[in-house]
Amino acid sequence: MAFCLLASPVAAAEQPADPVKKDLLEKGKKVYFKRCVWCHGVEGGGDGPSADRLATRPRNFIQGTFKIRQTDSGELPLEEDLIRTVKNGLPGSAMPPWGEFLSEGEIVAVVNFVKTLIQDRSFDDEDDTVNVQDFGSNPWGTKEPYHLGIPQEAIDQGKEVFIKNKCFECHGGEGRGDGNPTMKDDWGFPIVAADWQQCWNFRGSRRHHFDPFNVVRTISTGLNGTPMPNFKDQITIEDRWKLAAFVNSLCPRKKIDKLTNKPVPDFLISSKYTEGKVVPKIDDPSWHIPDDDPKIKPWDEEFKDNPKKHYIAMAGQITRGKRNFDPQTDNLWVSSRWSAEDNAVYYLLEYHLRFMSTDPEYPDAVAMQWPAKLQDLFGAEKPYFIMGDSKKPVDIWKANLLVQDYNATNAPNDKGYALKGSVEEIVGHGFDALEKKEGGQVEIVDSIFKQGRVKVMLKRSLATEGEMDVQIPTESFIPVSFLQWSGRDKEKDEHMAISTWYYTILEPPLPKSLYYMPPIMAVVFIGLQGWLVWMTKRTRKMYDEGKVIRDIIPK
Amino acid sequence: MMNKTFMSFIVFVAGLLVFHNVVFPIFTPKEPGWILNRYVYYLAICAFLIIANIALRLKPPISLNALVVWMMGWYFYKYILYPPIPWTLFITYMMLWSIGTFLYISQDAETFREFRKPIVKTIVGDYKIARIVVFIALPCLVGWGTYQAIFPTFQEPVELRTVHPAPPATTKVHGKSYTLETARNPFRIDEQDNYKDSFPFLDVDKHEYMKNVTEGGTVFFENCHFCHGDQLNGLGMFSHVFNPTPANFIDPGTIAMLRESFLFWRVSKGGPGLPNESTPWSSAMPPWEEHLTTEEMWKVILFEYWYTGWHPRTFDTEESYVGQWEKEGKPAGAH
Repeated sequence: MAFCLLASPVAAAEQPADPVKKDLLEKGKKVYFKRCVWCHGVEGGGDGPSADRLATRPRNFIQGTFKIRQTDSGELPLEEDLIRTVKNGLPGSAMPPWGEFLSEGEIVAVVNFVKTLIQDRSFDDEDDTVNVQDFGSNPWGTKEPYHLGIPQEAIDQGKEVFIKNKCFECHGGEGRGDGNPTMKDDWGFPIVAADWQQCWNFRGSRRHHFDPFNVVRTISTGLNGTPMPNFKDQITIEDRWKLAAFVNSLCPRKKIDKLTNKPVPDFLISSKYTEGKVVPKIDDPSWHIPDDDPKIKPWDEEFKDNPKKHYIAMAGQITRGKRNFDPQTDNLWVSSRWSAEDNAVYYLLEYHLRFMSTDPEYPDAVAMQWPAKLQDLFGAEKPYFIMGDSKKPVDIWKANLLVQDYNATNAPNDKGYALKGSVEEIVGHGFDALEKKEGGQVEIVDSIFKQGRVKVMLKRSLATEGEMDVQIPTESFIPVSFLQWSGRDKEKDEHMAISTWYYTILEPPLPKSLYYMPPIMAVVFIGLQGWLVWMTKRTRKMYDEGKVIRDIIPK
Repeated sequence: MMNKTFMSFIVFVAGLLVFHNVVFPIFTPKEPGWILNRYVYYLAICAFLIIANIALRLKPPISLNALVVWMMGWYFYKYILYPPIPWTLFITYMMLWSIGTFLYISQDAETFREFRKPIVKTIVGDYKIARIVVFIALPCLVGWGTYQAIFPTFQEPVELRTVHPAPPATTKVHGKSYTLETARNPFRIDEQDNYKDSFPFLDVDKHEYMKNVTEGGTVFFENCHFCHGDQLNGLGMFSHVFNPTPANFIDPGTIAMLRESFLFWRVSKGGPGLPNESTPWSSAMPPWEEHLTTEEMWKVILFEYWYTGWHPRTFDTEESYVGQWEKEGKPAGAH
């Protein structure tokens, strides 16, 4: 990076890289060969046994390129950067947080051992200097855990920086990483841009997912080994914080599970009772639902009565048949309404997908899976959660989606792309016993693919004729699970993403008694109070007139 | 009198606020010691309340004493007692605590009368402001409580499952029948502790044991770590998706107390092979016999024990496998 002329306001101090602590190597080697070798390989080439099945491949140490640093782009990291990465892991990848498992001493030792695996440069080379960057500090003083309260003005200015620097070319128009399908990392493996709307997957964000600092650091240092450059010289530090404010504003505030580092799934999907008919339009205000948890970031008054978005965690199907180790989608968001007048229930499914398939042979698809014979299930019993089993069948509503007039390399498109949808209804008695139903009851009433997000609205009547159709009673818990196929990744049949069993419930309308019972009870209680006053005063009077003698206290 | 009572009340409320928000975090560090723990903290706050009242000569009336005693009980069960108790138990404890408090105030006629006095004065209006506040607040509270009671809320149903079900007597894997009582890991050809500090991959030519561990680890990191995690702690990349969550092998309650044959049965049959009380319909554990050979499954089990440092549970009293084999000859499949 010799051609970097210091244009940034904060000149970084140049210093030699942290030399290898030779006395720790033996201890570090023991840790490495017990804990790290399985992914990073015997020589640190990122080619351990697990590597080929990981979508974010383990880092190849040989060139000495590391993502999470305080040093300038292309430079070696500080030792403390590496220690922090080992301690905190890299969210969104397979690198776990070793700080909860190894001692401080073991981590320092293994980091020093890893430094010796680098072949193309050396931490002991005095000419290989590093410049530690000054990232400034959070101008708005926002607080953990959710960093709410960044002024809208800063976010808007940040958006201008985002447009001016063409961040959308890789990260997409709304930051879902849907900009560029052809990127490769330094080793020639395909790589995609980060999805800013899932900031819990940002590398180097553990325990502080919503902290704009993560973004500032990444913009300032770049991610070595990936197409992410640094913008230290193009964007001033003030503007970097504003850009971070914008990026940060896109990430929905959800409760994050400290153990798994992912949003907490909403195991109960409530379907909201709707007066009159449900409007079957995704754009309708009645379906406008913010991604945030309203308990964390309150919604605008006008959406207050809309249904919630429920978070469904998804993973690859690795149980049977052709296994899927790198699902393209790791969550869905589901919201639902039902109407007695329509006698129907509506489910709006949304998921992030960077690029869609244009191959009719491999359409994109998403499905809801139900117990086909709900009435025969006893207690907590359910069919096997993937495609059912021989005794307990499942009813699968599969929406096949083919995107229209679309090319993955297109520039961001505000309007989105229409989807040509068709529903397959399938009865599953197990992986190899799937039969298509004749004549379906489920409809796709609306769908769209916009800025890296697929939205599909399904509708079905509550009661149908089919023997293998799930019947949906109100006010009871019905098991439901989800399946998803990314066509561009050649996902098909059992090669898909799955969820575990969730529950859905059709909520009853609010009872009328809610409006008249509380005041009635309050009035009754006021009467009670009046009676109490009257009684107490009467007793006092009796004492005063000597009609009743007080209990005598022995002296 | 009134002022002193009020002072005492302020001491209680302010003391509790300061102690709970400032002192409590100091006494609940990550690793509690003898001095720095939550119960010592509780004794400290009780001591503070008593000493403050004596030092300032406040002599709070019995009704305030009763209130403080009752509140401190509530505080103890709600915040201090650890681990937290279920709400049903909380209610039970509070009932007992309330009865205790009542016994304390009604120990004789005098204290009981003194306790009643402010209540009666509030009711008949000797304390004007208190009466207005209480008589307005209580009906509002009743109305709000009624609203809460009627408003429909839904909680997902709770489901219980048996984590380690009783294994069957025999299991058939790849056409061969295994009696779980006697099935042994054919690759456990030596004492695993001899290899605590050996290197997988580097020592495979030196020790056959390490060769098996390396092969088992390779299978694990190709197949199992997605759920059971790179640390074998059940927190792999896919773990947050599944319910029940994947087993944590580091935990002393899993492989540390199971026999290898039990693991072999679980690994080969997976979720679908569970009995009904263990919810076979929701376990994401694959039946690995469909993907792995018998040898690979035994090697993975060997690796899991080597990596975690646990020893499989055995019912042998004196003899290790190796000693047994010297007498009986090695089982088929052992090298």
